[in-house]
Amino acid sequence: MTNDGRVNDDVWVVIPVYDEAQVLESVIRQLLAVFPNVVCVDDGSHDGSSEVVLRTGAHLVRHPVNLGQGAALQTGLCYARAQPGARYFVTFDADGQHRLEDAVAMVEVARSGAVDLVLGTRFAEHPESVPLLKRWVLRTAVLLSPAGRKLKLTDAHNGLRVLTRAVADDLQITMNGMAHASEIVSYLGRSSWRVQEVPVSVRYTQYSRSKGQSLLNGVNILFDLSVRHRGS
Amino acid sequence: MLIQFVLVLAVLLILIVFIRSSNAVYVQASKRIALVLFAVANIYAVMRPDDLTAIAHVLGVGRGTDLVLYALVVAFMAGMFSMYQRFRLVDRRYTELARTVAIREAEVVNVQRGLLSPQIVTVTTGDGDRAPVVAEDRTR
Repeated sequence: MTNDGRVNDDVWVVIPVYDEAQVLESVIRQLLAVFPNVVCVDDGSHDGSSEVVLRTGAHLVRHPVNLGQGAALQTGLCYARAQPGARYFVTFDADGQHRLEDAVAMVEVARSGAVDLVLGTRFAEHPESVPLLKRWVLRTAVLLSPAGRKLKLTDAHNGLRVLTRAVADDLQITMNGMAHASEIVSYLGRSSWRVQEVPVSVRYTQYSRSKGQSLLNGVNILFDLSVRHRGS
Repeated sequence: MLIQFVLVLAVLLILIVFIRSSNAVYVQASKRIALVLFAVANIYAVMRPDDLTAIAHVLGVGRGTDLVLYALVVAFMAGMFSMYQRFRLVDRRYTELARTVAIREAEVVNVQRGLLSPQIVTVTTGDGDRAPVVAEDRTR
């Protein structure tokens, strides 16, 4: 993978971590080879994920209690945007499902200045790599969301995103649990940020499958979203 | 029957208020007024059960106690929703607190690990309208 000899020291990679000790180290080491700034937010793991992070050169932020993935992302963004020189923020899943090349390509798109936010989509090039049921549910999730339709998104629940500084400063994730992905989409629908989807591929390994969220959780997400405090 | 109409309407109203709710003062106030009214109605129902039965008949319910039961179901639902919202608010504050603690601790840890330069002291809350402030540590 190339990064065109560029030093990515204005890029911060935010990884929410919850019980990911198995694969975390290789994920972090791969990222650090390209992006010098990686912050892992340990969301109260019990399997020593924090110690894994401490062995690497990644920044560690540890939630004193488990708060949920959305909360971990927001904490990571808070931490990263307080660092001098941070201009691009990459959100990356800890389970190794994303590819580094995709993140690099998305940062390049963000650097072009044409967009404010870059989202990864699983459906642009290789939809068949996504398990059928999951594909169907994710598609429905996008269709159900007015913001997703407005922005013509194809994949609202991809963990790989690149935010520019302005978006990171403005975004405030209040959905602590898994509803944050939908929350981000509806936030984008209300805002005037320029959004672009970039095709990425997701590795559905045995491990990431076992860690992936249950489809039933979609019910929880819909409930949380429908009753959240408007405008607060 | 009239009672079916009234009950369905009440449940729908609660749902709408719940979904569109804000922390506006009038919402808070109307919740409290509703609570007081409900208490007064209950006392009245206990004192004059015959009046209650008369009202029940008008609404198409057989007995006054059945009417109380229906009202209780609706009130219970409203109470649950209200609790849920309060819980969400508490959860939000708790998250902010945990986040602030986590970031403070992380800055100490990451400075010790040599990843952060010790000059930078960040004052951070995740709250949108109080954006994180980066301040230079001025040694006095």
